[in-house]
Amino acid sequence: MALRELNSLERFLGLKKPNKYSTQGGKKVPVLQNNNGPALIGLVTIASHLVHEAQRPELLGDSAEQRAVVQQWLEHRVTRLDNSSKEEVKVILKDLNQYLEDKVYLAGNDFTLADILMYYGIHHIVVELAVQEKERYLNITRWFDHIQHYPGVRHHLPPVVVLRNRVYPSGHH
Amino acid sequence: MTKENVQGAAEEEQQAQSKKGLKKQQKEAEKAAKKAEKQAKLAAEQQEADEDDFAKDRYGICPMVQSQQKLDRALVRVQDLTPEKAEQQIWVRARIHTSRAKGKQCFLVLRHQQFTVQALLAVGERASKQMVKFAANLTKESIIDVEAVVKKVEQKIESCSQQDVELHVERIFVISQSEARLPLQLEDAVRPEGEGDEEGRATVNQDTRLDNRVIDLRTTTSQAIFRLQSGVCQLFRDTLINKGFVEIQTPKIISAASEGGANVFTVSYFKTSAYLAQSPQLYKQMCICADFDKVFCVGPVFRAEDSNTHRHLTEFVGLDIEMAFNYHYHEVIDSITDTMVQIFKGLRDRFQTEIQTVNKQYPSEPFKFLEPTLRLEYKEAVAMLKAAGVEMGDEEDLSTPNEKLLGRLVKEKYDTDFYVLDKYPLAVRPFYTMPDPNNPKYSNSYDMFMRGEEILSGAQRVHDAQLLTERAMHHNIDLEKIKAYIDSFRYGAPPHAGGGIGLERVTMLYLGLHNVRQTSMFPRDPKRLTP
Repeated sequence: MALRELNSLERFLGLKKPNKYSTQGGKKVPVLQNNNGPALIGLVTIASHLVHEAQRPELLGDSAEQRAVVQQWLEHRVTRLDNSSKEEVKVILKDLNQYLEDKVYLAGNDFTLADILMYYGIHHIVVELAVQEKERYLNITRWFDHIQHYPGVRHHLPPVVVLRNRVYPSGHH
Repeated sequence: MTKENVQGAAEEEQQAQSKKGLKKQQKEAEKAAKKAEKQAKLAAEQQEADEDDFAKDRYGICPMVQSQQKLDRALVRVQDLTPEKAEQQIWVRARIHTSRAKGKQCFLVLRHQQFTVQALLAVGERASKQMVKFAANLTKESIIDVEAVVKKVEQKIESCSQQDVELHVERIFVISQSEARLPLQLEDAVRPEGEGDEEGRATVNQDTRLDNRVIDLRTTTSQAIFRLQSGVCQLFRDTLINKGFVEIQTPKIISAASEGGANVFTVSYFKTSAYLAQSPQLYKQMCICADFDKVFCVGPVFRAEDSNTHRHLTEFVGLDIEMAFNYHYHEVIDSITDTMVQIFKGLRDRFQTEIQTVNKQYPSEPFKFLEPTLRLEYKEAVAMLKAAGVEMGDEEDLSTPNEKLLGRLVKEKYDTDFYVLDKYPLAVRPFYTMPDPNNPKYSNSYDMFMRGEEILSGAQRVHDAQLLTERAMHHNIDLEKIKAYIDSFRYGAPPHAGGGIGLERVTMLYLGLHNVRQTSMFPRDPKRLTP
């Protein structure tokens, strides 16, 4: 899973030469063997490295604050979102929906790596949501639809249908 | 011991005895004295009370009405208490909804069916202290006869249905007293769920209501629901009679399961067994073959389905239609949808009071429909669902969640709560459904939906004995069991189609309620056989 993400990320970043990744451990943590030093372990570490390699540092945030927020979401992705139980998912969705109420992107006003990796990570949950649930988590659905249409982001993942209009009256939830 | 000693001892004993005896006597005497005192006091109080109770004749508990007399007295209904009757002295029979004493006054709320009115009894020239006390102590739900003067009020009484008047009580008599402890409080039973949670007040859960149905049915909401349901039945009948239909009665004890053997109740029938009818299907059709052309029937339907859902009952009332047509089964669809629209219009125009009453406890959107009724093809519906991200096969039956989602999509796109879905896949329909002439995978069958839930399943029927036999064999049905049915098509049968609706489900969906047990007076489900 993580490897497919990294491949998609490489394509988004326009990196010409795809890297060869291996995994370690039961949880299949991705590993990138570097010639110039110790191996890079972990999705976030490798992704950040790729961003620098592609010379797109703005994807990690422009200001110190934005960089911190990006890191916060990357960490959220691997520590809370991945391997979350059914009950936890409900809480995660509720919190994320509330967070996105007044934001277009996750970190500041720009598209960042946080958006990409959160999109990859949450896709398997959103694709299973019923129409009524997608309307309940309206802000997540809006953000998700925005990111999945962002040029070059959605490679290995099937598109999720998002209806233009609400079919459930707001009192319904 | 010496004689003297004995004597002495005896004497002592005697003395001791008499001492004890004395004490005992004394105690008894005291007791008697106290009792006498108490009685004298009570008697005095009673006398006092009687003496002061100048209103003694104007209240009390009536002896049980055993038709002892014919009183030429007109009783006014609570719903007729309007400002037009101001200053009139009238008699009312109603239940005590609430009674509240406040100092020298007693406020009563009297209730009859959906209507409530405030009544006032105050200590004064006409009413004694004892009379007011009597009124305040009356138990809720007791049936009383009240003679009162109707008075107009300055400020509207918001909490009652009759807001512009109040009764000033002259006489008050109990016709039938209620026990003090009620199994459920009517005020709680009409409280909306949310309000209950917010204010920490009680609401009554469904099982309690159903266990004490007689009391639950007295609530304004229940009264409204079942009056509206009666209206549905009446409008169904009236509309079809006007269209030239004949009402028929079909047997409910039958020899073969009509819809497929799984969900049928078996009854012992003398030396053999029989079944309770799952639908009047077979008999409706036989009536068509008997040249009645257009028939309908209203009667119980029995489904032994172990489904514990919000919309299934084991016994419900089926309103069934069957009609011979000229050349195309859409003639029948049009007739059925027109009947439904007439029902919706009749309810909207004549039962607004009831609809508003129900909405007070169970808020919902008013029911919307189009004229002419919206008709979609099954293929279109599948396309709409796929466009909304649902994955399903083209010939797959609609699951309940998909039906509901489709209902929402149709509502959003066409703004209607009622529509027809035509041309279902043949594989998911019963054996007597006529296949589509142009595409063997589909059929001339249709479902109708209200608020996204199915209310009617119908089709053009196979009226050819040979084709019917083939279809039955294809469905592995024992031909012996349906011999009489197949035979009815052997001697000339007109092309015909029809469908049936469930009275309880239609009422539930029209009002926007969420459980069919609310619209069934004494519901039957796998877990409930009483009351």
